[in-house]
Order: sequence, then structure tokens, then C-alpha cells
Amino acid sequence: MTDRPSQRQDSTANGSTANDSTANGSTANDSAGGRVSGLRTRLAAHLRAIARIAQWEVSRSAGTVDRKTIALGLIGALVAVAIAAGAVGSGVAIDQDLYRVGIDSDSAYYDAVEQSSVLEPRPLSDPNVEIVVSNTHVSVKETQTSRAAYQAFREAVQSYNERQMAREPNQSAAFPVVVDLQYRERGALVPPGSRVDGGSGDGTGVGGGSDAVGGSGDSSGTTGTVGTDSSSGASDGDGSVGSGADSTAVASADDSSLGASSLGGMAGIFGGDTSGSPASISPPFPFASLVLAFAFLVPMNFVIQAYGSSILNERVNRRGELLLVAPIAPGDIVAGKTLPYLAGMVGITVVIAAAIGGGPVSVAAVIPIGLLFLSSTFVGAMFARSFKELTFVTVTVSVFLTTYTFVPAIFTNVTPIALISPLTLVVRDLGGDAIPLGDFAFSVGPILVAALVLFLLGTGVYREEDMFTQRSVPLKFLDALDSRISRPRSIATLSALSIPFVFIAELLAIAVLFVLPVDVTVPLVLVAVAIVEELAKSMHIYAAFEKARFARTVRVSLLLGGLSGLGFFLGEKFTAIVQLVGLPSLTLGQAAFAPSGIGIATAAGLLVAPLVLHAVTASVTALGARQGKSAYGLALVGAIGIHVVYNMQVVNALG
Amino acid sequence: MITVENLRKTYGDFPAVVGSDFSVESGEVFGIVGPNGAGKTTTLKMLAGLVEPTSGTAEVLGFDPEDPAMRRKLGFLPEESPLYEDMTPRSYLRFFADLYDVPRDVADERTDEVLDRLDLEYRDRRIGDMSKGMKRKVAIARSLVNDPDLLIYDEPASGLDPLTTNVVLEFVRELRDEGKTVVFSAHNLFHVESVCDRVVILNRGEIIARGTVPEIRAEHGETTYHVYTTVELSATDGFPATEPEGDRFVAEVADMATVEEIREAAESAGGRVADIRTDEASLEDIFLRLARESPTTSAAEGGRGRS
Repeated sequence: MTDRPSQRQDSTANGSTANDSTANGSTANDSAGGRVSGLRTRLAAHLRAIARIAQWEVSRSAGTVDRKTIALGLIGALVAVAIAAGAVGSGVAIDQDLYRVGIDSDSAYYDAVEQSSVLEPRPLSDPNVEIVVSNTHVSVKETQTSRAAYQAFREAVQSYNERQMAREPNQSAAFPVVVDLQYRERGALVPPGSRVDGGSGDGTGVGGGSDAVGGSGDSSGTTGTVGTDSSSGASDGDGSVGSGADSTAVASADDSSLGASSLGGMAGIFGGDTSGSPASISPPFPFASLVLAFAFLVPMNFVIQAYGSSILNERVNRRGELLLVAPIAPGDIVAGKTLPYLAGMVGITVVIAAAIGGGPVSVAAVIPIGLLFLSSTFVGAMFARSFKELTFVTVTVSVFLTTYTFVPAIFTNVTPIALISPLTLVVRDLGGDAIPLGDFAFSVGPILVAALVLFLLGTGVYREEDMFTQRSVPLKFLDALDSRISRPRSIATLSALSIPFVFIAELLAIAVLFVLPVDVTVPLVLVAVAIVEELAKSMHIYAAFEKARFARTVRVSLLLGGLSGLGFFLGEKFTAIVQLVGLPSLTLGQAAFAPSGIGIATAAGLLVAPLVLHAVTASVTALGARQGKSAYGLALVGAIGIHVVYNMQVVNALG
Repeated sequence: MITVENLRKTYGDFPAVVGSDFSVESGEVFGIVGPNGAGKTTTLKMLAGLVEPTSGTAEVLGFDPEDPAMRRKLGFLPEESPLYEDMTPRSYLRFFADLYDVPRDVADERTDEVLDRLDLEYRDRRIGDMSKGMKRKVAIARSLVNDPDLLIYDEPASGLDPLTTNVVLEFVRELRDEGKTVVFSAHNLFHVESVCDRVVILNRGEIIARGTVPEIRAEHGETTYHVYTTVELSATDGFPATEPEGDRFVAEVADMATVEEIREAAESAGGRVADIRTDEASLEDIFLRLARESPTTSAAEGGRGRS
């Protein structure tokens, strides 16, 4: 004991901890400058530790990969980049120069042939051609190939003509009749009692007037639309072909909340136009950009394999114990081990974006996906008991997150629900669309926060007592929740932090259910919402009771339930972001988010009701949780029942 | 150096450590002895800040054990010391030296010296290709890379061959001679007797004896006297019957008064006491006896298997 003062001085000399500096200079901490200096010292120490762990992770991981593997990986990456670049540069054209056309360079059709990717112009004297074009006559052989070449020639000429027409200054003269294809919400498209294929109109109606498409229609009143305009009730133009004096309607980024966006100059490889002459329009299915966007996801699935192995490797045979006893915070260890993999993902993302023509928005949208891949894998690797379980975890993460991000992006131009995936932003960015900040925040925010919360939970169990135990995954999950609970108010914090997961789960429920009839999906969504929210509000309370964190009394249970409800209610306010993307305009969006009292004007008076609901139901589950697993299960069912009844009442009240 | 008061750790309902109190002075080798599951490792990990006590306090080097400043002055060697097998001893030790902010040249000099003393030649070979003894030496070198004041070694010689065990135990003595404080656990009591200044004996999480080895022996040990006579003696109230052993007879008694009674009885029978030999109780004997006598302090049987 006699040598304590000198030991503290030694520690201070190392200058690595706040406590050291506190012990050495109390006056410094009294001043703001001292606090800033202390913070700076601590931050520098953290960054230094993270950098060292990261550097070590890179060198150690590099040591486990042989040169052949590195070479093969590099070749693979180069090939992928080359393919992606080729796809963008020339379109996806496996049929490049498929048919040879004998044609004179003076022919009026020469430019059409020359500009076609499928056709290759050859001199008239060339005998090895499928068709010959001379003046206005086309010679076609009696072969299948020649007939196909003729068909391709016809399409090439048609496309050429349309391009020429599009360049005309007077578009009304060029396109006296234009069909503008827009995707509409089915509930609005199909009035009760009518059939989609039947149509209540026969195209005889005349569009125009007020065209309230999805609440943000073209106010010029000149847009004719194919489809039903029943949502506004202002027009009876079922099945009508709109026309007007200046009906050069072109779908643009701002004319529809449903994202029937312009495909810009890349329309040719993006699956066709959504407006133009009737012959040229096709559904706005962004096939090529989807394929290209998928390229961002592929490397992530490989990176998480290496990352998961690295994390689990620390846990096998207690290998990481010595890092824990070093003067480094667990968070620094996790950050240092994660940083190289994140940097790798970012690097690959930037390269891919550069290769396929994605901008900074694409990169910024993909990085949170990468973080979610890494954080999910991290938590999985912290919970897995063996490499076998880790394999299951990484495959699950790969499949689920790839599906979650890719499938919604397919509906980029169909529904705003697609925005639950940041990949939708990538698809739109590749299509040349401007991405509103609200859309970006809606799409990226929950995923980013969810990733950070997962890292937080995983880091909570990155300690000796949890890392090396062979407990089942559910028990480890409870340990992770409990690791973040130190006092009652932690319960409120955890409830608030669960919001991103609740948000993602509810959006996923909407995305899965929206194909069903509204009469069925609304009740299902209300039940799903109740289940998700009650679980989110109660699991950590159950974990805390199981770990004997709090006394199992009625009073404590009610306190924890109230705090959980309050934290959840406050956190739920963040879901107001759905307002920014027009999701509440969907019936399902209203069902999922309106009952919680967020944002809908008519629900403003019910502001307090959700708080009461969350506090009451969380208290019910807390009372069950204090008595053990079975009682918790029963209480959870009861709380869900109360929540569903409440949701139904609110939906009915809102009409 | 270390003060522990009423330190307690439970895992669920299982008490791994039950209210320990002890202190460790600077410059001594302090042993924590006990069978598997006694709470040795849990105690050491609480001192190293790896395991959070359920209750009680521990002050190590003047700090709370979880204070990173304490860890800068600590060298910890766990019972199992799995290393990063793709690294070489040199790169491994440099990495840990970096974490402790030890300059590269100082770290190299320090680790070279330690590895010389531990007689480890292969410093640039993959750790994965090394024997268990070599790996243990690397682990010991790692515990010294920051030139700590306090060393906590958990079973440092466990599973090593006798030659390597001697090297390790001799190294611990040298560390003490250099003024380091060493706390180490063992269930091999010979190791403890040979190097420890003071020990505590743990059983089922509870300290059942403490002090220097001679003090413990004096307090808890028994001396057995083997009395050899030239004549056979039958049992009396004072001593047991002698048993034949070669051309003599022997009785085992626990005190000198009884020895005197035997001498008198032998002479009365026309014989004499030919020889008297004494057996002092070893620490192991004392430990086994104390463990048997120790009341069951918990429902430890079948509990969580931490030692």
C-alpha cells in the first residue's frame, strides 16, 4: 500500500486514462479547458487503441490467407468490376451485333441500323448478311435467322424514329397522343365491387382536370393517366386515355409519390420508358439498375464470413481473454476489429459505384447496409457457441438482409414501401433521380440506428463473464439486454433504442402483407404491430428480472413498466419520419403507424393515449416477468390483446 | 498491494467465492490453493478486473480492479493461455507491448531478456508450431511485457513437464527476488510449498486456512511418530497394539507422551524402543483434512464449474 502514490504517478506518465489525469491534477478538471483537454486525451487514447487493434487485425488476417487466395480474389474482383463497367458502358448486350445487315451508307435506314446494338451494317456486296436493305426494299431470306433479323430491323427503325421525334421542338406535334403509365395504389385503383381486368370504363372518358395522384398529382391538370382516378373522386376517367392540348405528360420525380420516376438517359437499359408513344411504353421495371445494385450486396456476404470468424476466434478457447485484461476498453477492441472489414466494404462499394455509375448517394446508402451486415454478424458471432452455429448465423444474416434490401428495391417505381431498403435509393440514384433528404433519412436512418444498437448490445457481452460461456442463443440475448441495464432508467433507454427494430419489423410486415386484400391485411398488420411493440417493451424487463437486477416486487414492476412505456413512446416519435415519404397515404401505412398517435392530424387529440397504452401494457408484462417465464408469456399475450383492441378502436375512430 | 474485503461472487444460485478477506503485501509470492471448483480462478479474475464481484470490495495497486490504470501495472497469466497461433512470439509480444504503450525498442529488449531467461530460442517461428511448454513461456513473457508491479498467475505450471515446471517455478522465485509481487494459484501443493511466502486455502469458495506454510502446518498439521520396538506390545488405553514390520514391531502415535508410554511398556516387557521416526504433515495432508472437515458451505455440487 505504501507505493500507491508513485504508482498513480506512473500511470499518469503513460497519459492514457482519465482517472490518471484526475488523480494527478484536480485543478485541471475544474476548468472547462481541463475538461476539454481530458476529453481530447481520452479520445486520442481510444483512437490509438482502435488503430492498433485494427492494424493487428489486418496483419493477422492477412497472415491467415495464402497468396493464391489473394490473387484469385483480386482477379475475381477485377472481373466483377469489369463486367459491371461493361454493363453500364454498353448496356447488358449479349446480343451485340447479332445480325448483319447489308446496307448502303447513303441509305435513309443506315443510321437506324448503325445505332442499333443488335444490328451490324455491312456493305451491300457482303454475301454473309441476314437481310439486305436497298432503298425502300428489304430482302429477307427464308430462314428463321433472317426473319428474326428483319424483326430486329423493324424495331430498330421504330426506335430510331421515336428518338428523332423526341428531338422535335414541338412535342405536341410529334406526339399528339401520349400515354403516361403510372403505378397506383391498388386500393385506390380498384373501387369496391369492380374488377381489375374488367375496368369500369372503356377508354372513352377524357382525362384531365384535377388529377390527384397519390396526393401529389400533376397540378397542371393536363396529365391523362391510364388507370383509375378514384382516390380523388374528381374524375370518372376509369380506363381513360387522357389527352389535352399539351398532353406531353412525362413521368417525373415530382409527379408521383409512388415513385414512377424518370429513367433519364439510361432508360434503354432500365427496362423501357413509362411514357411516349403507345408502342414504346413498358412497365418501369428497373431491371438493369437492380442487377447493378445487387453488385453492392455480393461482397458483403463474403466479408461477413471473415469478420464473423475473426470475432468467434476470440471466443474459442478463451483466446481473447488477454485483450480484455489489457488496458483497452471492450468497445475499442470491437471497433478496432470491425474497422478493417468496414473499410474494406466501403472501399469495395466506392469501386463498384465508380464502375457502374453510382454517385455519392449510392455509396452513402450502401454503407449503412454494410454496417447492418457487420453488426448482425457481430452479435451472431458473440452469441454462437461454435463455428457450426456461426455458419448458421452468417447464412441467416446473408439471406435475410439480402432479401430485406433487395426485394423491396424491385418495387422502386411501384410503392413507397420500397424505401424500407436503402438499395431502393441506389436504384433511383442509378436512374438519375434526385433523392429527397426525407427519403434518404427514412430509408437509411432505421438501418443505421439498428446497426449501432446491435453493436452496442454485442459490445455489452464482450466481457469475460459472457464471452466464454456456452449458453444458448436466447440466454445470450437476454445477457446482452441485461448488460445494458444498470438502473431503472436503463429500461426506458432500451425501450427507446428498440424503435429502429420495431420500425423495421413493422415495415417488413407491411411489405409482406401489402399484396393481400386490404380487408385482410389491416387486421393482420394491427396484430403484428402489437406483437412487435409488446416484445420490444418487455424483453429487457424480463432479462433484468431473470438476472436479478431488480427486486421482484409489484411496485418495481409497475415502475419498470411505466418507464418502458415512456421510453418507447418518446422513441416512437422518431417514426414521424414516415411522414416525409408519404407512407401514411397508404392504408397499410395508416394501420401501422397512425394508431401510435404520430403525425396524423386527426389523431393529435389522442397524443396521450399511446403513452397510457404503452405504460399499461408494459406494466402488465413486467408484472408477469417478475414471476418467471410462464407468467411472462401469459402476460405478454394479455398485453398484445389489449394493444390489438386499442389499435382497432383507434383505426375505427379514425375512419 | 492487494486488499480484499468480503469478496463474493455468485453465478445464479451458485456461490463461487464466499466472502473472501485477505491482503497481499508488496514483494511477496502469495498462493491461493484449492481443488478444482474451489474459487481460485474466480478470485484471481476478480483481482484482475475480468470478473465483477457480486459484493465486497477489492483494491489492487490502489485502484479498483476494473480501472484501466491498474491494468497497466498488472501482468496476468490465465490458466489456459491460448495464443494467436498465426503470429510469431516476437510479433505477438510486440503487439501487446503496443497496447501498453511500451516503445518498440524497449519492448524488444525486455522480451528478449525474458525469453533468454526462460530459454526460449524460437522467436520467429509460428506459435502454432510450438510445444505447450514453449507457448507457456511466450505467455509468461507477455505477462511481463509492460514491466508490471503485480503478477497474477493462474496455475502457471499446470500441464507442463517437470523440467519446464522447474523453469517456471524458478522464474517465479526470481521475480520475487526482483521485487515483483506475485499472486498465483495452484492445486499442486508442492508448487505452492516451494515458492509461496503465504497462502490461503480455499474450499468451495471459502477460505479455510491462511498464513505462511509453517504457520499453517503448526496450526493445522499433525506429526505422526512411528515407534519401533524389539518386542510386541498389545493395545492398552494409552497406545495401539504394535504391528510386526521385519524383525521389529511398530506403532503410530500422535504425541510424545504416548511415545514415552510405549518406551516404558517395552522395557517392562524386556525389550526396548529401537527407533523413532516422525512424519510431518504436508500442506497436501493438511489441505485434505481441512477439506474433509470443512462444512458444506453451499450447494456447490453440480453447480457451475468455475474454479
